[in-house]
Amino acid sequence: MIEGILEYLNQTEVIKTIVILGSMGLFFVGLFGLLSQRHIIKVFISIGIMEIAVFILFIGLSFQKGLTAPMLGDAHTSFVQMNDPIPHAMILTAIVIGMAVLALGISFAIEYYKLTGKNRLDQMNEMKH
Amino acid sequence: MNIKRDISTTTLSSFTLSAFFVLTVLSILLQNIPQKLFSAGDSLLKLNSDQGVANAVTTVVVYFRGFDTLGEIAVLFIASFGIGLMLTSQTHGDKNKVKSNFMLQLGARLLFPIIILFGVYVMTFGHLSVGGGFQGGVIIASAVLLMFVSSNHFHLSHRVVEVLETFAGISYVMIGLIGLIVVDSFLGNFLPHNISQLGLLLSGGIVPIIYIIIGIKVGSEMSLIVQNMLQRSDND
Amino acid sequence: MIGLILLGTFIAVIVIAFVAITQPKLPDAIILSMGVGLAAVVLFVLFQAPDVALTEAVIGTGIGSLIYLMALKHLGEQK
Repeated sequence: MIEGILEYLNQTEVIKTIVILGSMGLFFVGLFGLLSQRHIIKVFISIGIMEIAVFILFIGLSFQKGLTAPMLGDAHTSFVQMNDPIPHAMILTAIVIGMAVLALGISFAIEYYKLTGKNRLDQMNEMKH
Repeated sequence: MNIKRDISTTTLSSFTLSAFFVLTVLSILLQNIPQKLFSAGDSLLKLNSDQGVANAVTTVVVYFRGFDTLGEIAVLFIASFGIGLMLTSQTHGDKNKVKSNFMLQLGARLLFPIIILFGVYVMTFGHLSVGGGFQGGVIIASAVLLMFVSSNHFHLSHRVVEVLETFAGISYVMIGLIGLIVVDSFLGNFLPHNISQLGLLLSGGIVPIIYIIIGIKVGSEMSLIVQNMLQRSDND
Repeated sequence: MIGLILLGTFIAVIVIAFVAITQPKLPDAIILSMGVGLAAVVLFVLFQAPDVALTEAVIGTGIGSLIYLMALKHLGEQK
């Protein structure tokens, strides 16, 4: 019974399905937070969670069971049977850039709070009147 | 809460229909997942053997996609510039700050050189093992953050950061231009690189040099972001 | 075995993210969002991407916590 379940979960299609559905669920949790929460720090946290979901989807789709990391070592002396290095490189730079841009957005929010004293999205209504 | 009264039947039925539609499309899509979604990586892995670099991700970041990395560093610079523009303070409020704990001061002073050494190691061995300039630069920035937390008088000299950042940016572009002249492609690998030298610190031609330059640039910019965000908190 | 570990880690990361978002206290929400980053590190290691895992660990828990906590200090009062 348990061996059967493990065998079923180890198939390549099932792993890809878990990756797609799981990262989609994480993305929608972040989207739910973005739409339902009003405090601005919660909004930034939700955007960060959506970013992480996209990273997981990108890395997980390039993953194949049985292949190793794209790196030479003691056991691997040639570049065969390895995962795709391109998504790793793109996500590696995207994480650093994402955090810097998040810091920029938070600095904008801090200055806005110093000027107007508002830190909730439903209070930010200067454009309405 | 009465669902029938609060939500109209049209909304409920359209929600059910769209959920059914999405699930159908997903089940069709998930049944036909190809075994291998990306195929560009195999040819890059074949090309990788010529570079004398053990870590294939490093080769992709620095050599095959080096021009994109230059653009990403420019984005990082613009973000740091914007944070400095928004959060720069005129006065340094060092007077009324609480003196931190003795154990924190001692521990930070002990750990600071070790973390810096680890960051430099991650930066320098980026072409041989896990790591590289981005990670090493951020590790160095976290060491600077530790010193900022523990000591009241620690201050990053703008002069030093300016010189480091300018040196890193200019030398990145200059190495690219030298490659354009010598090997006929921007960021071409003009230094000797051979697979037989694999494992040496200076194997791989320009790849480790450019990753160290990226590390200097990322480290100085992240340290400036840390300093700006912490200094803003001092004077109010 | 890897399928079961993946399933468990995905469930854990989604639960942590949901608790972090619906948390009324802001410091708890920030610490739990760091937990989302750590679970993502586990996933990257499972996906054979050690470079991305190192970057996410350093950025998500080192500099990210500083940025969120600075934001909490400046605009933290929740009404």
